[in-house]
Amino acid sequence: MNRVAVIGGGMTLFRRRLLETGKELSFLAAKMAMEDSGIEKKDLDMVVMGSAPDAFDGIHMKGENLLDGAAATNKPYVRLFNGGGTGVFAPIAGWWHVASGVADTVLVVCEEKMSSCFPHPQTAFQHIWDPILDRPLHPNLVWLFAMEMNRYMTMHNIKKEDIALVAVKNKRNAVGHPSAQLPDEKITVEDVLNSEIMAWPVQRLDISPPSDGASALILCSEDRAKQYTDDPIFIDGVGWNIDSTMWTNRDLYFPRYVANAAKMAYKMADIHDPKKEIDFAEPYDPFDYKELHHLEGLLLCDKGEAPILTREGVTQRDGKLPVCPSGGLLGVGNPIAATMGQKVCELYWQLSGKAGKRQIPTDPQVGVGQAWGDIMQMGTVIVMRRG
Amino acid sequence: MTFYEKQTDPSSPMHWLGDMQADYLYPNGKAGDKLFKHIKENDTFLASKCINCSKIFFPPRLYCEDCFVEILEKDWFEIPSTGKIRLHTIVTINTYGEKLNEPKMIALIDIDNTDGALLGIIKTDNIDENLIGRKVEAVFKSKNQREGTLKDILYFKMR
Ligand SMILES: [Zn+2]
Repeated sequence: MNRVAVIGGGMTLFRRRLLETGKELSFLAAKMAMEDSGIEKKDLDMVVMGSAPDAFDGIHMKGENLLDGAAATNKPYVRLFNGGGTGVFAPIAGWWHVASGVADTVLVVCEEKMSSCFPHPQTAFQHIWDPILDRPLHPNLVWLFAMEMNRYMTMHNIKKEDIALVAVKNKRNAVGHPSAQLPDEKITVEDVLNSEIMAWPVQRLDISPPSDGASALILCSEDRAKQYTDDPIFIDGVGWNIDSTMWTNRDLYFPRYVANAAKMAYKMADIHDPKKEIDFAEPYDPFDYKELHHLEGLLLCDKGEAPILTREGVTQRDGKLPVCPSGGLLGVGNPIAATMGQKVCELYWQLSGKAGKRQIPTDPQVGVGQAWGDIMQMGTVIVMRRG
Repeated sequence: MTFYEKQTDPSSPMHWLGDMQADYLYPNGKAGDKLFKHIKENDTFLASKCINCSKIFFPPRLYCEDCFVEILEKDWFEIPSTGKIRLHTIVTINTYGEKLNEPKMIALIDIDNTDGALLGIIKTDNIDENLIGRKVEAVFKSKNQREGTLKDILYFKMR
């Protein structure tokens, strides 16, 4: 397998509603990544597009609609998605294009325009459930996540205050992110605990907002990377894994599919003790409890230990294990697939010292990014390393 | 093994009846906004030109998909709403298989002075005539009825 480098990243504004079409957003993100790396369209061998269900943009075969904004016209091109897992799965697909040797240079674009779905993108989520066993009860994501959150709290005797700390940390971390939708320098735990209750224990400020946005990455082989940079960042491990679709057969307090994906990625990256060898993490945080859930799934702490680390400040940007230094989905926004910007572009920016005001002060060498998707059952993991 | 295609009544197996709610609000986008604001007030079109390859886009775009460069404001210009029929078909039944009151000619029209084309309805007295290569011009709604969408163009007529 060829070693795969990341040499450029780009990310548009994340906002509830943007005037740009999906393909215009794709263009803006792709162009930023190309300018960051010095790559032009003619240098690209292949293009990978990540975008969640067509139902958000309201364009069936959305990948075909987006391709001209992703520099893919007349190139080998593939669009893929696994719901929320896409933001890490699309760069994994970009990785296998290069690692396999079929391409030297690949552009990965992730786009989501959730505001087209009217009156609210939640209506699109109503059709992801099993039509016979789930849908007659009109499930929605908020109350299903509320049950999972409650199960996690109950199993480990976790207080809501400790979970709210994650929302506070991430919304504060997002201050200084040029794309951020919901940065808040002054937010407190009380603000989260006093926000509207949606489905106990989930409150308004426990959740990331729906957004429009796009992000992009340039991946290339190690040889090609040397032509563009002296300090390439490498993708050294990737993993993905999916749990049962049947609720009855799932654990729901420990994300074993994330653990399986993490083990696959760590093995590939030759990481034996992730607690010691990983310098920082970007776990998927559409809800605040999910960051904790996923830290445990990523084997960066013991089961039930993530809230304690959070309370002790370990996961702050200047802590021993910075978590979501980007500001995450809670602070920067949640245009599903486009959160590649926080989960993978951020690893590249932090490792190459390009994170600006968000830069982790301790010179990180190894980072892990993760996303979570399909119907609460998919884990996608990427390990990136400097030099 | 059950072969459902042998059943003539689709409701005969036990079932649950659901629908898919999917309503959409599609913004025109940056380039589309500029074009449709123009069409609302004028009987002409706008095009945008790539300074790298000189390709002239209609409908106008924010970027050239070949060169992957942004097209700036200064490279937008007004063009007449005229063109030539590249190809056409005559539609006689609708999507549900019902016969139309009168056949409808749909054409792809190469827009003059550009490298672009637009789908449009052709109004003609003799629908059986081969109209490929013929010159046409857009007929718009009256200005006070325009809404800034593609439907502001009613049809194309022979020049
Ligand atoms: Zn061009």
